[in-house]
Amino acid sequence: MVENDASEDSKKGMKVGGALGEMFRTAFQRPITKKYPFGAAQVAERFRGKLDIDPVKCTGCGVCEAVCPASVIQMVHTGTRKVGTREIETKRPTFDLYTCISCGQCVDDCRFEALRLTHEFELATVDKKSLVMDKALKVVN
Amino acid sequence: MDALEVVEILVFPGLTFFVWLAFVFEWLDRKTTARMQGRIGPMLAGPRGILQPVADFFKLTSKEEIVPQFSDKLVFEWGPPFFFAAPAIGTIFIPVVGLNAIVSSPYDLLFILFVLAFSTLMAGMLGYASAGRFSTISIGRLVLQYASFEIPLLLAIVSPAVAAGNLSISGIVQAQSNFHWFVFVVPIGFAVFIVSSLAELEKPPFDIPDAKTEIAAGWMTEFSARPLAYVKLTESLSYVFLSALAASLFLGGTAGPVLTNVTILQDGIYLAYFLIKVFAIGFAIFAIKTALARVRINQAANLFWTVLTPLSLLQLGIVILLR
Amino acid sequence: MSDKGNNSPISGEEGSAKREVSAGLMQYSPENLMPFGPVHPALHEPEYFKLILEGEVIVDAIPRIGFVHRGIERAAQDRTWIKNIYLFERICGICSFAHSLSYVQAIEGILQFEVPKRARYIRVIVAELERIHSHMLWLGLVGYWTGFDTLFMWIWKDREHVLDLIEAITGNRVHKSYNTISGVRKDLPENISEPIKREMAYIQDRIRYYRDLVSREETLVVRTRGIGKIDAETARKLCPVGPLLRSTGIARDVRTEDPYAAYDEIVPEVKTSSQGDVASLLTLRADEVLESCRLILLALEKMPSGPTKLTAPRSVPKGENAFHVEAPRGELFYYIRSPGGITPERVKIRTPTMANVLTATSMLKGYTLADVPVVLTGMDPCFGCMDRISVFEVDKEKQWSVRGEDLRQYGISHYKTKKL
Repeated sequence: MVENDASEDSKKGMKVGGALGEMFRTAFQRPITKKYPFGAAQVAERFRGKLDIDPVKCTGCGVCEAVCPASVIQMVHTGTRKVGTREIETKRPTFDLYTCISCGQCVDDCRFEALRLTHEFELATVDKKSLVMDKALKVVN
Repeated sequence: MDALEVVEILVFPGLTFFVWLAFVFEWLDRKTTARMQGRIGPMLAGPRGILQPVADFFKLTSKEEIVPQFSDKLVFEWGPPFFFAAPAIGTIFIPVVGLNAIVSSPYDLLFILFVLAFSTLMAGMLGYASAGRFSTISIGRLVLQYASFEIPLLLAIVSPAVAAGNLSISGIVQAQSNFHWFVFVVPIGFAVFIVSSLAELEKPPFDIPDAKTEIAAGWMTEFSARPLAYVKLTESLSYVFLSALAASLFLGGTAGPVLTNVTILQDGIYLAYFLIKVFAIGFAIFAIKTALARVRINQAANLFWTVLTPLSLLQLGIVILLR
Repeated sequence: MSDKGNNSPISGEEGSAKREVSAGLMQYSPENLMPFGPVHPALHEPEYFKLILEGEVIVDAIPRIGFVHRGIERAAQDRTWIKNIYLFERICGICSFAHSLSYVQAIEGILQFEVPKRARYIRVIVAELERIHSHMLWLGLVGYWTGFDTLFMWIWKDREHVLDLIEAITGNRVHKSYNTISGVRKDLPENISEPIKREMAYIQDRIRYYRDLVSREETLVVRTRGIGKIDAETARKLCPVGPLLRSTGIARDVRTEDPYAAYDEIVPEVKTSSQGDVASLLTLRADEVLESCRLILLALEKMPSGPTKLTAPRSVPKGENAFHVEAPRGELFYYIRSPGGITPERVKIRTPTMANVLTATSMLKGYTLADVPVVLTGMDPCFGCMDRISVFEVDKEKQWSVRGEDLRQYGISHYKTKKL
C-alpha cells in the first residue's frame, strides 16, 4: 500500500476542469502558429543558415577544409602559381552543402573573411548534387 | 412507404444530412480544440479548412488496405459498415424538421439503447477480429468501460422519458414546447448523460480504449484505408448522434416558439433551433474533453459506479415522485 | 483499505495503489508479453521494453537498448578536438549544450586554461536556458502521456519563447554550437538583456500557473500522484541521477557539489521533493525552471565584461581528464584521454539516461499498463544518448559484444532467412 502524498500540494483543493478559464482566454487570443510556408519565417540576427563564400576574398588556403567537422569542404586543384622561383599549387574550396551542419567553424577560422552564414535555410531539394556549391570556379579561373 | 419518405430517410433530414453534419462537427471539434490550445487547426481544404474531414475521408478510402495475417477477414472487412449503421439508424428517430421524426414509434428509446449497445458490440468485434495485442487490451478496457457507463446512461435517458410519460423521442420533444425543457426538470440526469456520452464516444477523460500513448490506437490500431475511414466517420457520426439525442431529450430539440404559419418556413426555423442546440451541446463536449486528462480504467469504473449511478438513480427517483 | 484523506471520486480507494506482484522473470508465456516499443506513440525514440502483464498489471519489465546506437565514442577518435565539439553536441538534441560544455571543460582541464570570466557567465546563462527548455519539454509531454493534450500544447507554446531566446544568443534553436575550447564563440548579442528579462518574467509567470494547474487538476493528479513511487533507500541502491534522484528528497546536484563554469559565484538552490512519484517530479521540475530563471537574471546582473575566448592550440598535451556537469536530465559524465596530438585516444560518455533507465524500469513493476508512459518517461528519457552496443539476452544469460562487421553479417543473414 502506497502512502498518500502528504506534501503541501495535496492540501490545496483539487478541482476538475481547472484549465477551462485559461482555455477560453487562449481561444480568443492570437494563435501561436506561424503560417510559415504561406508567410515569411522570422529568424534571429545570428541565425546560422546556408554557407556562402565570397570568391574574391578567398585565397584557397585550405584552413576551412581542415576544421570542417562534417567534411563539407573539399579543396580542388586549380593550377599552379609562381611565387619567386617556386611553383606552388593553387586550390579552391568546393562545398557539399548536403552534409553541412551550419556550425560556422569555417567562418570563425577564415582569416580573410571570405565565408559567411546567410539567413537562408530553405535547402530542401530532390537533387543532392544541386547543393554542391562551387562558386569560386567562375571567378578564380 | 412512398418516394418522399425514402428521400427523407436517405437524404434529408436523414442519413446524408447527418453525415455532412458529422463532417462539420469534426471540423468544429478540431478547430475549437486547436484555438483553445493556441493553435490554428485545419486551414487548407475549403474556407478555413471546413472541408478537411471530407478530404481526410476520401483520402483514406483511396489508400491501400492492409489486412493483418491472423485477422478474422470477414468481420474485419465487413464489420465497419455495420459499425457505421448503428448511429446512422439511430439518427432517423430524432426530429430534425418539425416536431416529428421521420420514423417514430412508441418504443424509440428502447431502440436507441439497443443502438448504443450495438455500437459498442461492433467496436469490440472489430477489435477482436483484427487480432492485435493493442486491440485485445483495448477491448478489455472497452467492455469494462461499457459495463460501467451503461447503467448511468440508461437511467439518464429514462428520466426525461418518465418526465414526459412517453418513450418516443418525438413525444418527448413535443412535451418540451413552450420552453418546458427537461434540463430544468432533470438537471442531474442531463449532467450524467453528458459524462456518459464522453465515455460512449471515447473522448477524454474516458478515451481509455484508444489511449494512444498506452496502446497506440486501441482497437483501431490494425485498421487502414476504407475500414478506417468508416470507423472514423462513425466516430464523428456518433458524436452528432449523441449530441442530437441530448438536445432532443433535455433541451427540447426542435421545439421552440412558432413564428409563422407557413409550414415550410416554420420547418426551417425548427431546423435552426435544432442545430443551435446540437452545436451548443457539441461545444460543451469539446470544452470538457479539451480541459481534462485521461483517467485510468479503474478510476473511470469507480467514478461511474460510485458517483454517477447513484446520482442517476436519485434523479430517477425524484422525477418519479414529481410526476 | 485505509482512508487516505483523499476524497476524490475519481481516484477512489485503490486509485493509485501499487499491486503486489509475485511472478518472477522466467515465468511468463508469450501471451502475457506486451511489446512497448521500439515504435510506440508514447516514445519519441526507438527503444524496446518487454512488459510482462497480468491483465493490465505489470509483472516485469525488461529494457532492451541499442536501437539507435551511433558509435559516437568511436567516431570521436578519428576527429580533431575542435570537430568533436560538434559531434558530441549531436548526441542529444535537448541537452546539446551540456554535452559540449562537459567536453570542452574536460579539455580545458588538460590544457590548464583559465577560461575568461565573462565566458563562464555566458555558459551559465545558456546552460540554464537549456535546462528551462528541457524541463518545459518534459512538463508538456506529461500532458501528452496522460492524454491532457491542452497542457502539452500550452507548455510547448511557451517553450518557444525560450527557444527564440536561445536562437538569438547562439544562432540556433537546438544545436547551439556555442562552446569552444577556452570559452564561447561569440559574445552575447547587444541589447539581449532586455529580452531576457522580459521572457524570464513571462516564463516565471506561466510556470507558476502550470505548477498550480498540475497539482490541482484532478484528472491529472489522480494519474500522477503515488504513481512510479520510489523511496530514498531504493534510489540510493539504484543510483539514478538528476530530478529522478532529487524527487526522492536526496539533494544532489553537480552544480553545487562540484561547481563548474560560474556556478561557484552564481550558487543554485537545490530543489528537492519528498514523494518520489510522478506528481512530485512535475512540481520539482517546475521549481527547477523557476530557479533557473532566477540564476539567469542573477548571472545577467553580475556579468563582468571582458573577452569571451582565448586562442586554443590545435593539439592537446598527453593526459587524461574526467568532467561532469549537471545536464537537465542529471549528471553527465565525460572522460577523455589524450595521446598528445590532435585527436583524442578515448572518450567515454555516461549520459543521465544510462544511469536512470534501470531505475525507471524497475519502478514499473506493480503499476498498470496505463501508467507505463508516465512512469517510464518520468526520467525524461533520451534513448539516443543512452544506447550501447553490448548485446545481452536476459533469458539465456548470455552476453557478448558485437563489432560493426559482425553486425553487418547478422543483418544480411537475418534478412535472408526472413526472405524480405
